Amino acid sequence: MPLDTSTTYPLTKLRLDGRRWNELRLLQAQISTNPASSGSSYLSMGNTSIMCSVHGPAEGRRGDGGSAGSGHAVVEVDVNVAGFAGVERKRRAGGSDRQSTRIATTLRSTFQSHLHTYLYPHSTISIHISVLSADGSLLAAAINACTLALVDAGIPMPGLLCGCTAGMSGSASTPRDPRHDELDPLLDLSLPEEQELPSLTVATTTVVPVGENNMDEDEETMKVSVLSMESKVHATYLETMLAVGIDGCSQIRELLADVIKGSRR
Amino acid sequence: MSNQRQASSASQVPHLSPAELSYLYTSLSLPKNPIRPDGRSPTQFRPLSAETNILPGTNGSARIGFADGTQAIVGVKASVEKTILAADTLDSRSLAQHGDALNREGEEGSAAVSGQGEWVQMSIEIPGYRDDDALPVFLGEMMRESLVGSVAGGSEEVKEMAGGLKGRLVINKRWHWRLYIDVLLLSQPLAYPLPLLSLTTHLALLSTKLPKLKSTGEEDPFFDDDWAVAEYLYPRSNKQSSPSDAPTYPVRPPVTLLVIAVGENVIFDPNREEIAVADAVLAISITRSSDSENMKLLSIRSIDPPSRLTQPGIPNSENVNMLGGPPASSNQSGGQEEVGGVWRPRRGGVQRSVITRMIKTVLQKGGVGEEVIQGLEGVKVE
Repeated sequence: MPLDTSTTYPLTKLRLDGRRWNELRLLQAQISTNPASSGSSYLSMGNTSIMCSVHGPAEGRRGDGGSAGSGHAVVEVDVNVAGFAGVERKRRAGGSDRQSTRIATTLRSTFQSHLHTYLYPHSTISIHISVLSADGSLLAAAINACTLALVDAGIPMPGLLCGCTAGMSGSASTPRDPRHDELDPLLDLSLPEEQELPSLTVATTTVVPVGENNMDEDEETMKVSVLSMESKVHATYLETMLAVGIDGCSQIRELLADVIKGSRR
Repeated sequence: MSNQRQASSASQVPHLSPAELSYLYTSLSLPKNPIRPDGRSPTQFRPLSAETNILPGTNGSARIGFADGTQAIVGVKASVEKTILAADTLDSRSLAQHGDALNREGEEGSAAVSGQGEWVQMSIEIPGYRDDDALPVFLGEMMRESLVGSVAGGSEEVKEMAGGLKGRLVINKRWHWRLYIDVLLLSQPLAYPLPLLSLTTHLALLSTKLPKLKSTGEEDPFFDDDWAVAEYLYPRSNKQSSPSDAPTYPVRPPVTLLVIAVGENVIFDPNREEIAVADAVLAISITRSSDSENMKLLSIRSIDPPSRLTQPGIPNSENVNMLGGPPASSNQSGGQEEVGGVWRPRRGGVQRSVITRMIKTVLQKGGVGEEVIQGLEGVKVE
C-alpha cells in the first residue's frame, strides 16, 4: 500500500494524517511550565513537542571574552533532541548532532536580531530547548516555543515571532504551469511529508507601527524574519509556498496570542 | 561552568561561607530533632507533581517536577535485538544438549534462558554537562545497576519476571528486547538529582508497555500490532476489586533514595545546602519484595560528600587579625581539633551505628521506603 503523499494526495486531496492542504495540526501550548527558569514554555504541534526554558537576561559568564564588552545582550541557544524523540532511538556519541546544531544556530541568529537586546548590555539570555518528540516542523515549533518562553520571561520584542512550514504536494522540479495546476501547496508538514516533499520554514513578525500608519490598527503588516529551505524546488513554486507559509504564521500568531492571554492571571 | 564539570560525583558546592556551613551543620546535627532550612522533618520529602505516559512516541514515559522547579522527563524505548549466543553453545556437544533443552522446554517454557545486564541502557542528559561527563555517567550506572540487579523472589504470579528485569527482556533463545532509558533533566540540578531521576525512571518503567508476542517458542518474534493489547513491562496483577482501584504490581522497579548523615542524625531527600555539610552521603536502592510486603535492600553506594571540598573556618584563637599577632598556642595551628562554631571540612567516615539506623529507617515497616513506594502507588499509571 503506497503511503506517500505524492501518490495518494492527487486522488483523495487528503494528506497522510487526514488534513486538507491548508490545515494546521493541533497546536497546544502552555507557558510558565518550569518555575526554576525566568521563562518557560511547552508547545506541541501535532506529535512534535518541545519544552523551552529561558534563563536571563543575566550577567554573562566571565571569560567569555567577546560578549563582555558589547552593548547588547547575547543570546545563547542550546538544543537537545532527546534520544526517544524519533521513531527509532537515536544514539549520539557525546553531544549534539547536525540537526540540533543547525536549529540552534538558526534560532540564535533569529532571536539575536529579533529581541530588543540593546536594553540589556553586558548580559546573556540563554535559551534551552528540549525536543521531546520530533514529528516534522522542528525549526518552526522551536521558534514558536522560544517566542512563548521569551514572552514569559518578559524580554521585550517588537512582536510575536511565529514560524510555520509549507511545502508542495509533489516533487515540483519542473516549471509551474499556471493553466494546469496539479500540485497543491501544503501547510505545516509532518515528518513523513517533510522527508519526501520540498518544504520551507518561514517565520514572520509584526512590524512595529511607526510614522503615518501609526494608528492603522486593522491592517496588520507582516515581516518575514526567518526563511530557511533545505530541499529543492523549482523557483516558480516558491511564491505559492511562501504565501501559504505566511498565512500559516498568522494563524499560529493568533493561537499563541490566545495562549499568552489565557495564562494571565 | 567548567568548575562545575570538574566536581566529579558530588554536586556543585553552593557558595556558603564557613560560618554559614557551621551554622547549618549545628542545626542539622542537633540531637534527636534536627532543624532543616526548609522546616521539613528529617524523613520528609519535598512535594512533587508527577504524570505518566506523556510522550506518545515512547514505550513508556513519565515526568516529575519538584516544587523548586527541577523537572525530569524519562522516556523508555524498546527494540528487538538478536541475542548473540555464547561461543560454547556453538560447540557440537552443547548443541545436542541445546536440542534436549528445546524438547524439554515444550513442557517447561523457556525459563532456562537468562538475560544480560547490557540489555538495559541508560543515558542521562543534564543541561550544562556532556553526556560522557562524570556526573551523568555515574548517576546512570548507579541507577542501572540496581535496576538490572533486582531479581524477584520466585513466587507463582510473577512467572514473567523470573530473573528480574533481565529475564523479562528475553523473548526466546535467539531474540531479546533491548531497553533504552533516556533521562532528561530539564533544569540545572539544584540538588543532587539522584532521587528525582530515580523516582521518574520508576514511574516511566511502570508505564512501559511492550507489544504482545504472537509467535511462540523459538520462532522469529512476531508481534500483535494492536497497541491496546500490549503488555506491561512490569506485569500488574488482576486482583483489583474495582476499576477505580490503583493496580497492584507484584514486582516494582527499584527506587534509589538519597540519605545523608549529619552528626548522629539521618536526613532524607537533602537539598543542596544540606548535602554541603553532610558527613556521609549514601544512595540506598530498595524495592518491595514480591512474596512479602517487606522492603528489600538492593544496593548501597556512598557518594563523595561535597563537604570535603569546602573551605575551613579559622577560630578566633588562631586568627591573626583578631589578636594583632600570632597567638602563643600557634604550635597547634594544624587545625586538627574541632572548635565549637567553627567549620571544619568533613573528612568522611561514618559510624556503623548511623549506617544501621539509616538502613533501618528505610526498611522498617512503616518506614520511609514504604512511604515512598506508597506515594508512588498513588500516581495513577495509565
